[in-house]
Amino acid sequence: MSVNGTSSGKRSALAPLGKPFAIVGGVLAVVAALLPWVTFGLNDGNWPDKSTLQFFDAPFEVTGFRWHMLLLGVLILVATFAPIPSRGRVIRALGWGTALVSFVNGAYITVKGGGLAAITALDGAVAFGSIAGLVAGVLTILAAYGIGFEPVGQWKVKLSTPLAYLVLLASFAAVLYAVAALLTTGGVGAANPYAGAIFLSFLGFAAGVLGALSGVGFIKWLSALSEQHRVFSVIVLAACALLLPFTDAGNEYWMTVAANIGIYAATAIGLNIVVGLAGLLDLGYVAFMGIGALVAANFSGAATAHFGIALPFPVAAIIAAIVAGIFGAIVGSPTLRVRGDYLAIVTLAFGEIFTRSAQNNIGGITNGSNAIPGIPQLSLFGAEFNKSLTIGAVKLPAGVLYYVLIVLLVAATMAVFANLKFSRIGRAWIAIREDEDAARAMGIRTGKMKILAFLIGATLAGLAGAVFAHKNGTVSYESFKFLESVTLLAAVILGGMGSIPGAVLGAALLFVLPEKLRDFADWRLMIFGLALILIMRFRPVGLIPDAHRRAEMIERADENAEEAHEEAKRA
Amino acid sequence: MSVLLQQLVNGVMQGALIALIALGYTMVYGIIQLINFAHGEVFMVASYGGLATYTWLLPEDLKKVPYVALPLMFVGGIIVAVIVAVIMERFAYRPLRNAPRLAPLITALGVSVFLQEFVRNVYPNATSNLPYPKVFPEGALSLGGVNISKTGLLLVLLSVGLAVVLQTYINRSRMGRAMRATAQDPDTAKLMGVDPDRVIVLTFIFGAVLAGVAGILYGGYLSNINIDMGFQTGIFAFTAAVLGGVGSIRGAVIGAFIIGLIKTLAGQYMPGGTQYDYVWIFVVLILVLVFRPQGLFGEPERVRA
Repeated sequence: MSVNGTSSGKRSALAPLGKPFAIVGGVLAVVAALLPWVTFGLNDGNWPDKSTLQFFDAPFEVTGFRWHMLLLGVLILVATFAPIPSRGRVIRALGWGTALVSFVNGAYITVKGGGLAAITALDGAVAFGSIAGLVAGVLTILAAYGIGFEPVGQWKVKLSTPLAYLVLLASFAAVLYAVAALLTTGGVGAANPYAGAIFLSFLGFAAGVLGALSGVGFIKWLSALSEQHRVFSVIVLAACALLLPFTDAGNEYWMTVAANIGIYAATAIGLNIVVGLAGLLDLGYVAFMGIGALVAANFSGAATAHFGIALPFPVAAIIAAIVAGIFGAIVGSPTLRVRGDYLAIVTLAFGEIFTRSAQNNIGGITNGSNAIPGIPQLSLFGAEFNKSLTIGAVKLPAGVLYYVLIVLLVAATMAVFANLKFSRIGRAWIAIREDEDAARAMGIRTGKMKILAFLIGATLAGLAGAVFAHKNGTVSYESFKFLESVTLLAAVILGGMGSIPGAVLGAALLFVLPEKLRDFADWRLMIFGLALILIMRFRPVGLIPDAHRRAEMIERADENAEEAHEEAKRA
Repeated sequence: MSVLLQQLVNGVMQGALIALIALGYTMVYGIIQLINFAHGEVFMVASYGGLATYTWLLPEDLKKVPYVALPLMFVGGIIVAVIVAVIMERFAYRPLRNAPRLAPLITALGVSVFLQEFVRNVYPNATSNLPYPKVFPEGALSLGGVNISKTGLLLVLLSVGLAVVLQTYINRSRMGRAMRATAQDPDTAKLMGVDPDRVIVLTFIFGAVLAGVAGILYGGYLSNINIDMGFQTGIFAFTAAVLGGVGSIRGAVIGAFIIGLIKTLAGQYMPGGTQYDYVWIFVVLILVLVFRPQGLFGEPERVRA
């Protein structure tokens, strides 16, 4: 990070203004939360009679994103005065949160409300909320540059085991709450016309608060704590995932979406082995998922299946995984001779060959563009997986069993990944990633290891594909094209290569966003492309970088920052 | 026999089109070792730029005069392509020049998706095939039962001609020498007074000009365009560049003709017909990469320290 070099000039100019700017920014954010945000009702009528958009236009009333603004403003003020570590980073994150919330809502009102009059003044009504918020955000970000960026705070607090368990429990409960809130903000699907904007606004708020928590050192401390009590953390996390159906997000729609996310998350973890651990770029990875899905579909007893036999799901899933694994080894075999970018092209070529062959119904097993429909739903003890379930007095939403199955799938994939990563094989992969020639010199059989990476990654994808086939009930080559491969790769990179929670978070973001952004359906992929460019530009390590990768790419910068800080203290 | 000859002619024409794009890939890779995935989209954007020039900028009476309309379409398409390429280099690739190698590749994928979706959303009716204006030389020469379309002939002549000009420029001119120097060793070239930023921008511009020419000719040759053309043709072109040896101008052109011939001949004679011609190109790509990764004319890649 170039924080030292580039900001030193700015710092000298802004230094005396740091604190005043932060105070003004915080106060302004609080004020913005209380101001009206829109000059007229958006739904065929003037405020307040016909407007359904209280969220935006209720003045002096704190609801929805106004709560977020208020909270951000108060947090900025607290961060300005409280003795916290790395004040600059915290304030910068909060400033970005404020600016994003203001920008999203302001831009939405402007676009939907017909021009700038909607957020300034019209017919005697004034609404400067969004502008005040934006100014507050910008001022706060500037203030952060004035205050300067100390290294991320180090917490030396040691906890006794029961207390640590309690903290972890509380934190994971908060995570569960946040996930449920993220899924349910803005209502379900297209039910709420403002869903997209409300969701983006919430995302801005969440990003600001998370950034502040990470700046103050809490996230680092928490992840160290959970690393210390790894088994307990995993159990609690799994329990939290299984509790999701009992929260507000427990309805059929979100069970379906969450299950889809889970399938892609499991696939992304598999890809993470190939890309994140072994450092082999794979641009045709989704083909393995497609192979798994096609194999499972053909053995499912669907009417159009090529083989007229219906195998029980576990058997079909295992066959799917094995077949995908074999193809993985075949695709991986060029790694013996091909490296780097060229390998990426070979995998791309294999992916395209798969798509083309499947499209042309090769060997009559893919059914081409007609797809294989009517794959039977899974069932267990007579309970069909897509039906709702009643346990005792609690009625669980439809699709909950798929959700549970997929949570287990993701957990299993995570376990495989974690065990491999910290094993001899995983270390060999990381060594190959860092320097293949050195790894070979150290006695690692690089060829075997690289093919193994492809094989295991493809097996996991094949397994996920088998579940995908049954859950969606139909398999078409359309679901496994180049763009899906790129999306999966983006999920891995966005989350942080080589990091397990990163892959899940990345998959969740990339597959939830389209659900939430139906308003922007046409622009979705364009935003996706832009996001890829911006991520590579500003945060190539991803949102939750793997500790090892982080050490490579950031810590050196942090050390420099620390040294500079020490010097500044001495002077 | 005449079927074979006809397919050979078609293959050469397709190859000429692919060659124009492959040159852009090969030059950029030769200098900054970046697989510029977005280059195919530059070609696509140029095609739409030419169409836009014709539709909105040309006055009605000029549209009927091919000798004026066609050159102006070329100019319009090339300008759009160059602008896109320069912006892309400046804001997407340049900041990443010292990043890990994966980063620019993924950025390139992002640029590719972005450009494609941008055209889809912004250009009117871009979701369906758009007909290309009929300002190209029509009809075909008939030579012993083989039809040679005039547009195709123009395509081959322009493609080979431009490749020769480019090769001469790189081998003879001062700037060409700077390019070769930067490709060999950017740091030393810098010490010798070469401005690498300028060389790299110029490389992108050359690639964009050729892609622009290709974009217009594609429209004339196939008489309609769609937003997927960039990805598909881009992949063919990239394959051609790899086949010829990435970094080699001559290799890219010869590779492109080979790819064009494989496509038409495989579509005619291999099992599965035209549905699988795409697959055969990828099979060739994989075989080349595995057994001769430096391509037909490339130097063996040195392991970088």
